[in-house]
Amino acid sequence: MTVLSRRELITATLLQRESIGEQYHVLTFDVPKGIAAEPGQFTMLRGAEWGEAPLLPRPMSYLTAGTTPSVLIKVAGEGTIRMARSTPGEPFTLLGPLGNTWRPPAQGRRPVLVAGGVGIAPLLFFARRLHETGIRPLAIYGGRTTRDLPLDDELSEIADVTLATEDGSRGHHGRVTDVLAKMLSEDALVYTCGPDRMMAKIAELCAERDVPCEVSLETPMACGYGVCLGCPVPTTDAGYIYACTQGPCIDARRVAWGKGEHAPHKRPEPKRIAP
Amino acid sequence: MTDQAVSVGSLTLKNPILTASGCFGYGLEYDDFYDVATLGGICTKGLSLHPRLGNAPERICETPAGMLNAIGLANVGVEVFCAEKLPKLRARGVTVIANIFASSVEDFVAIAERLDAESGVAAIELNVSCPNVKEGGIEFGKDPLMSARVTEAVRKATRIPLWVKMSPEAGDIAAVAKACEAAGADAVTAINTIRGLSIDSELRRARLANSTGGLSGPALRPIALRIVWELAGKVSIPIIGIGGIFTARDAIEFLLAGATAVQVGTANFSDPAAAKKIADGVREYCETRGLAAKDLIGIARP
Repeated sequence: MTVLSRRELITATLLQRESIGEQYHVLTFDVPKGIAAEPGQFTMLRGAEWGEAPLLPRPMSYLTAGTTPSVLIKVAGEGTIRMARSTPGEPFTLLGPLGNTWRPPAQGRRPVLVAGGVGIAPLLFFARRLHETGIRPLAIYGGRTTRDLPLDDELSEIADVTLATEDGSRGHHGRVTDVLAKMLSEDALVYTCGPDRMMAKIAELCAERDVPCEVSLETPMACGYGVCLGCPVPTTDAGYIYACTQGPCIDARRVAWGKGEHAPHKRPEPKRIAP
Repeated sequence: MTDQAVSVGSLTLKNPILTASGCFGYGLEYDDFYDVATLGGICTKGLSLHPRLGNAPERICETPAGMLNAIGLANVGVEVFCAEKLPKLRARGVTVIANIFASSVEDFVAIAERLDAESGVAAIELNVSCPNVKEGGIEFGKDPLMSARVTEAVRKATRIPLWVKMSPEAGDIAAVAKACEAAGADAVTAINTIRGLSIDSELRRARLANSTGGLSGPALRPIALRIVWELAGKVSIPIIGIGGIFTARDAIEFLLAGATAVQVGTANFSDPAAAKKIADGVREYCETRGLAAKDLIGIARP
């Protein structure tokens, strides 16, 4: 098997779409020569027969790599609706592998993976990689309801998982941040992917206790390889960095959480309409 | 093999396919994909006198068959470009069109003078039509007198060929193009993006931090093609066509409408090798018909 090491745009057929409820779907592709993606990296994914709308590919973290690379999608808009309805045999274009990888776990620190909903994808890939090297991480996995915990069984096989739902329908009744606040020890190394608000809160918790934390940021992007400049992340030390080439995995302390109206964790509340 | 070369004034391009400013970085991001020296040329990200951080996020969003952007001309500045990017482009034999932006005539001149001191800049493209910055930009490009003033001042500052990028929002684009021609422009590029707006109905807010953004992509194509068509009857300098070109067929339409060369922009985002594929497709179209690329220019015109 020849393994790709450089970025490449390939056309691959969909092998399988595994739907987990209406919202979440695992798409698995047939790539005989393989994709050498590492946990944390992403692909720009688009239906090869979409025509001119939806126009842009969508950034998706790899869930697995190799000859049957896969992604986990959550239905959010026109592009993901198409993906959720796709059928085996359908051609897709995959540009990748893109972005950086999760930093390797440090000696003497126990990895703690904190996932929110679809943010499980790069963390499950990472947990599998850790498992291969004999490391069993702690994991906290949360969502609004039990339906927002796709692939929880897969995670439980290789990590010590605490589940949390906001409505209490499964696991801890509350948020992952409540769970983390209780169990965060000084020798932890936190990896997190999920909604911006969740990651901002986790970054704050880790900073308070001087625990290293790495976040995987999701932002809109058009190209994924550093030319559209659509994915700036405000930082505390270097103006903007770009999530596609300088991320998506970023030291949480570098992110200027809350800097500027449109900074990551300040996704605004809906504007009120006066009655 | 058919002849794919086209002439833009004194500059000969090896084929009529260029990449558009703002959609191709500095041309150094493509080593994994193909040799960009095979293109007719590349237009750099808009260069300003000093580095610019650009606008706050969100900067982009998708719209029907297109996208809005309000990047705000984030760039490394002309000095870093000359020191770090241009030598690499020169070494690779890339035909470089330096797109430049300023909010004053003096700064336009200063950037042009800096570029004039370097070898390896095939042309300068004046961005007088950016819709996403508070000063300069589109305010120059909407007004024939202001466009001519910038063109004339830069013309005096450098012997490098000058292209001027037209705003589709000028009331009378032909008047702007003619004023630039009279002021010494070697070509006009048509068109820059058109300002658009997208609102998130759940959040009840504009999707972009800048509220409005420039519309690009296939949605823009018929408008751009019409403007190239109209300008071809009004100016005698070459026209560089741009607007939603995604396939070789699209590029050929622009050539047939009167463009001498074309720029590929948004298509690079969904396929990094889009411009190369389009160049190959135009060559194939010519080969099967026994035509040279320059034979296509303006043929559809009455």
